[in-house]
Amino acid sequence: MSSDQRRPSRRRAPVSAGAPRIGVDRVACSGHGICAQTLADVVGLDEWGYPIVADRPVEAKDADLAVKLCPARALYLRP
Amino acid sequence: MTLIDDLRSAGLTGRGGAAFSTAVKVAAAYDNGAALIVNACDGELGAAKDAFVVAAHLGELVEGARLVTRGSGRIRYAAHRGSDTETRLIAAGLDVLDVPSRYVSSEETAVISLATKGLARPMTKRAPFVGGGRDSRGRRIPPTVVLNAETVWRIAQIAAYGPDWFRAQGTPAEPGPRLVTIGGAVPRPGVLETAAGMPLTTLLAAAGGMPSGAGYLWVGGLGGVLMPAADVPRLRWSSADLAAYGGSVGPGVIDVLDPRECPVEYVDRMLTYAAGESAGQCGPCMFGLPAIAADWHDLAAVRPGNRATVESRLTQRLALVPGRGACRFPDGVARFAASAHRQLSDHLAAHAEGHCPTSPTHAGPTHAGPTYPGPTYAGPTYSNSPVTPVAESTSRSSRVV
Repeated sequence: MSSDQRRPSRRRAPVSAGAPRIGVDRVACSGHGICAQTLADVVGLDEWGYPIVADRPVEAKDADLAVKLCPARALYLRP
Repeated sequence: MTLIDDLRSAGLTGRGGAAFSTAVKVAAAYDNGAALIVNACDGELGAAKDAFVVAAHLGELVEGARLVTRGSGRIRYAAHRGSDTETRLIAAGLDVLDVPSRYVSSEETAVISLATKGLARPMTKRAPFVGGGRDSRGRRIPPTVVLNAETVWRIAQIAAYGPDWFRAQGTPAEPGPRLVTIGGAVPRPGVLETAAGMPLTTLLAAAGGMPSGAGYLWVGGLGGVLMPAADVPRLRWSSADLAAYGGSVGPGVIDVLDPRECPVEYVDRMLTYAAGESAGQCGPCMFGLPAIAADWHDLAAVRPGNRATVESRLTQRLALVPGRGACRFPDGVARFAASAHRQLSDHLAAHAEGHCPTSPTHAGPTHAGPTYPGPTYAGPTYSNSPVTPVAESTSRSSRVV
């Protein structure tokens, strides 16, 4: 991996049943990178600053906060 | 038996490349009263089969479209601006959607966007637009279904001749007749009516055969793969056989590379073209494709030197791009580049030693390469501007009608 690329952490906190996954509207996303901080467990950034999202559930309250804080309104929840 | 039942038992899948069940799509179109767009753009490089359907089977095409909308609902025919196909559709008095001649403009959601007064750029598909939805800015998109022109023609044929007639051709996994466009270095390029399971040698013979010394076939265009011409005698035209190379029958395009041209340089031109065709919407595509093309351009130079850094960077980037765009364009280009990287590894190694196996005088690509800020670029803080189109973008190769 190149040094300017951050993968999501491998730490896996257990999540509740039925917890959502994170989706990115790639057209809306403009690479602010806030999600990599609000959801550090599942979101990393590529060398250009765009999110790399691990396909695993996140706690609903964390997901909701990340969706709310995305400046581009590009994050959404997937069942 | 209803049309949906017939389509299901026929096993018809989309002929535009994605091979999705047409029965499922048409059933959803029925349920939502969706408008229909018949995609006759031949958007893949080298494809000419939609042009053939419009030129030779327009009556059945119109009938197939009527069946999908059950006589009500708007039907539009999407064709590239200025193409013969567009002229024919207009002359027939049909409702034509004038699509700009760019690679991603004919992608399913791009055509829907254009038809609903947006730009011809792909849209994020949170759910299929056959049920309606919104684009990324919140603009409402009414229920719309897009079907490839060959698919619509097949629907009319299945309605007329029945699913058994359809299933009698092709293979159990890929039933029915299908069109293939053969181009490149063959004596008689053109569209062939065939079916899955046909020996590749037979198909190529119908186009006049491969030239002596042919090295590679390019199957599936910018979203396709390279395969060695030497493997042709043991292969059939089926996704099962092409899977060994990472390919599928896809949009039905076979291009025979000219043995007199360096394949590495050919791929270089195609990747540079691809990089310039990104709609510039999704970061991983807008930055990733020019980066991949720039890596390939570095590898393509015929000059002694250690390429290990570029090699590993290219491999990383190829893994990074798929699944991270609104449409599958970056996935397709990464598939093509990865396949070329595998198939041409010996040729690339020769370039890195300072000589080209195709021609002792070949000095590597002469064009400037893709517009890319380069690996030292600090990273985008905020940019929605599309990548500057590359001046040298190649014209569409081997368009044959």
